[in-house]
Amino acid sequence: MWARDSQKTFIGDLTKAFNKSHTDVQLRVDLIPASNFVQKFGTAVGSGSGPDVVSIDLVYLPYFSSVGALEDITDRANTLSYKSGLDPAHMRLATYKGKLYALPFTSEASVLYYNKTLFKKAGLDPDKPPKTWADIETAARKIRELGDGYYGYVFSGACAGCNAFTFMPYIWASGGDVLKGRGDNPKPTFDSSIITEALSLYRRMWQQGVMAPLSRTDQGSNAGPAFASGKIGIYGSGAFFIPTLSKAKGFEWAVTPIPGKSGGYASFAGGDEIAIPKTSKNKDAAWSVIKWATGKDAQSVLAHDGIVPIRTDLLKSIYEPLNPNYPALARAMLRGRTPYSTVYNALFNDNNGPWITMIDDAVFKGNIEQAQRSAQQKALDIVSSGTSG
Amino acid sequence: MKIGITKLVDLRQAMPALAWWVVCSALAALFIFPIYLMVMQSVKPLDEAVAIPPTLFPHQFSLESFLALSGENGSINIVHHILNSLYVAIAAVVGTVVVSTLGGYGFARLPFPGRNTLFFAMLTTFMIPFQAIITPLYLVLRTIGIENTLLGLALVYITFELPFGLFLMRNSFATIPAELEEAAFLDGCSPLSALPRVMLPLALPGVVTTALFTFFASWNEFFAALILITDQDKLTLPVTLSILQTGQFGTLNWGILEAGVVVSAIPCIIIYLLLQRYYVSGLLSGALK
Amino acid sequence: MSGFTKQGPRNDTPYTPTAGVGRRRAGDLSWYQRRQLTGVLCVLPAALFITLFFFIPLVLAFWMSLYRWPLLGIHKFIGVANYVAAFHDSTFLHAAGFTAEYTLIITPILLIVGLILALLVKGSRRGTGFFRTVYFLPVPIGFASASFLWVWLVQPDVGPFGRILQMMHLVAQPPQWLAATASALFVVIAMVTWKTSGMQMILLMSGMQAIPTELEEAARVDGAGRWQVFFHITLPLLRPTLALVLVFSVAGSLLAFDQFYIITGGGPSNSTITAVYWIYHTSFVTFQLGYGSALSILLMLVLAAVSFVQLRLIHRSTEF
Repeated sequence: MWARDSQKTFIGDLTKAFNKSHTDVQLRVDLIPASNFVQKFGTAVGSGSGPDVVSIDLVYLPYFSSVGALEDITDRANTLSYKSGLDPAHMRLATYKGKLYALPFTSEASVLYYNKTLFKKAGLDPDKPPKTWADIETAARKIRELGDGYYGYVFSGACAGCNAFTFMPYIWASGGDVLKGRGDNPKPTFDSSIITEALSLYRRMWQQGVMAPLSRTDQGSNAGPAFASGKIGIYGSGAFFIPTLSKAKGFEWAVTPIPGKSGGYASFAGGDEIAIPKTSKNKDAAWSVIKWATGKDAQSVLAHDGIVPIRTDLLKSIYEPLNPNYPALARAMLRGRTPYSTVYNALFNDNNGPWITMIDDAVFKGNIEQAQRSAQQKALDIVSSGTSG
Repeated sequence: MKIGITKLVDLRQAMPALAWWVVCSALAALFIFPIYLMVMQSVKPLDEAVAIPPTLFPHQFSLESFLALSGENGSINIVHHILNSLYVAIAAVVGTVVVSTLGGYGFARLPFPGRNTLFFAMLTTFMIPFQAIITPLYLVLRTIGIENTLLGLALVYITFELPFGLFLMRNSFATIPAELEEAAFLDGCSPLSALPRVMLPLALPGVVTTALFTFFASWNEFFAALILITDQDKLTLPVTLSILQTGQFGTLNWGILEAGVVVSAIPCIIIYLLLQRYYVSGLLSGALK
Repeated sequence: MSGFTKQGPRNDTPYTPTAGVGRRRAGDLSWYQRRQLTGVLCVLPAALFITLFFFIPLVLAFWMSLYRWPLLGIHKFIGVANYVAAFHDSTFLHAAGFTAEYTLIITPILLIVGLILALLVKGSRRGTGFFRTVYFLPVPIGFASASFLWVWLVQPDVGPFGRILQMMHLVAQPPQWLAATASALFVVIAMVTWKTSGMQMILLMSGMQAIPTELEEAARVDGAGRWQVFFHITLPLLRPTLALVLVFSVAGSLLAFDQFYIITGGGPSNSTITAVYWIYHTSFVTFQLGYGSALSILLMLVLAAVSFVQLRLIHRSTEF
């Protein structure tokens, strides 16, 4: 089985548990660097080699399903009693032209982390997290006013994936979207007015100096530690950030959903799904791994390692009791969405692609509409040509 | 500009000795400073390594950053990746040295029809960047069945160090006086047995230089390793560093990354200091032809 | 290393067998033939390597460049469409332009810094050996490692460079080096200069030391000033070395990848994407292998042309 290197912490536990409970099938996991996962898996499948089971970031499923890299598991999945309890966002991404190609494996939801200690210091109620964009702006500004070194907000301005994860929910929660229409390849809507407003929110916070300066160039690795240093008010991230943050000392923090412009909330449903590559040589054994991985035992192991389970029917029993912040994450996950596109990588995850280029141009240079227009054009080109040319 | 260059002409004689020492020492400080910062960063405790503002020397000495690379708790096990890099580098060194010694000897000392054309054809590889053929290279490795292996990577490195190695070894053998070779033949050596007995000892400096160059190149190579190796377990050091840099959304620690840089850079510096005579002279001879 | 003289590679000195050799073995092959055969066998491994891992991929690259070739799925012959597309690909054209710009900026910098260092440390005075070693110290460090070092050095908050400037009261806030194209490029250039000027120094220094001192002294005696000696004697005689250093740094700069991939990630706003970076992106991020191959072939042609011109330059300058 192949998995991403960022899953290393829990995949070891999981493998042990699987191999202990199975005598006929044994699992060996190869870890692949997350940043090159698509290339590595694509090359392997293209050359007829590759693993028997693979754990894939759900955003890539439409692509791999559309090029026939994965085994159709519709019939096998219909035998599962808990199929209806599986996270709907994951299930949607795993479906291509009415067939199912993967099952949910791990989940991840984006939320806002806020520094309760700073909220109190700045005269805000630490038990009333921001519920609208205006709340965020006010809170961020007040925290900035605490003085030198304090900032209201931080995000990774040079990391495409991070902003799909934490910026898209602002758009969704306000009734907007980044792609329009269902189907295999919905059209981008990068030039919509709700995106203009969301970008303007960031732009204002940046211009007023409310955002930490590192936001501009951070490729994803500095914003978290900056929040963990206790001098930043609000930061968008996922459940994976909790272990890091739990080690941080000197301040209290809490989790709240990412709000819409005037209320409501949304979240990016991330995580992995588990699938059988077309080239797998042991498809039945692979299926037994998948079945086990979505079962209660495996999901409990995951929950203990801090991973949000993909079984909505199990959230209350195996996940929420483990940590006071988990219910908020579970709530966010139930509202989770994921853009569906066979060209997701080129549109949203590419650090030189249109999504991040738009955010960079709009937030840090200020020509918001121009940025949206040219990103929309690039995105349309990508969608109409398909990535693989 | 004119004045600037005028002054430069034989600066040493124009300037009093003291000024020369001052200028050279200041420059030396500039060159060493980043290395100093890197080493200092790697021996700070983890929280000091990401402190804002940064400290310029460790207030507290700690090996936490290196310990964080020990593979505990799912982190990167740097020793494992050092071994990968060593394996690839040593395999590449042995391969390059053997193949280019044989080839250099053949090209320099054993005339056969089409020899010069063939030598020229091999040198054209100098002009074409292997970055440009990396995709088909992967397909070739796959056809042979050694894709995603350290052996495959080593074979690729050998190929791309070969033009330089052949060039260097051909020059080394060509400058050995013909009389020595003749004497060996008269003593009953065949062309092949003359190589280890008589010729090789004389061409040893060339061998060392080839070995050093191949070692540094393979140990440090990033692009091919990034693309050709799939399993995290098989990554070489430079690519491992890129994983440390990417971190897991916010778990990067600059102390740990710089500890990784120290691990990959310091061996090169030490080997260079020990063998700089060969390295520099080889560079000159290889380049100034 | 004393053997590397100019005429070195050319003096093949065909071996003339003496009477003694002829009777050593009465095999089927004559002495000449056996020697020829040994020669072929000796170069065979090298030829195999280069054929297998260089010439075959090269031909394959050309072949692939004529196809629409996704990583997965069917590939289709499309003739020169990929090449046509390259000239309409605004990012590629920008990347090509940026690579040229980078090369044009860094080449003179490396030459001048190398020249200054070489002038400082040539000769055998006390201390020169030490400084030579120190200036050369960053050279054996790999580009990737050096980039991972510098990307930290220039981080706005946690990086020491901004902090030092702040402590010297040159700036109020640590600068955002990587947030603007010019300063991001400056960082890369500073890193590359730090890392490679030691190499240029050694090459130029040995070139200088090969110039007979009598020439310079004679000119001095004739009343030439230092300035005149440098420009009319030293520099012209240094031309072969200068040309060589030029070839090195131009080829290296045109192929720049590691430093931009690691330090700037192509940013800000994709303004520091180089040609190789874009080829990498095309082939391994968006998986257009056919198109990526076409871009590679174009890069190869440019590089071959540039190298050819420069080799001509060297050739002519050796006849100076």
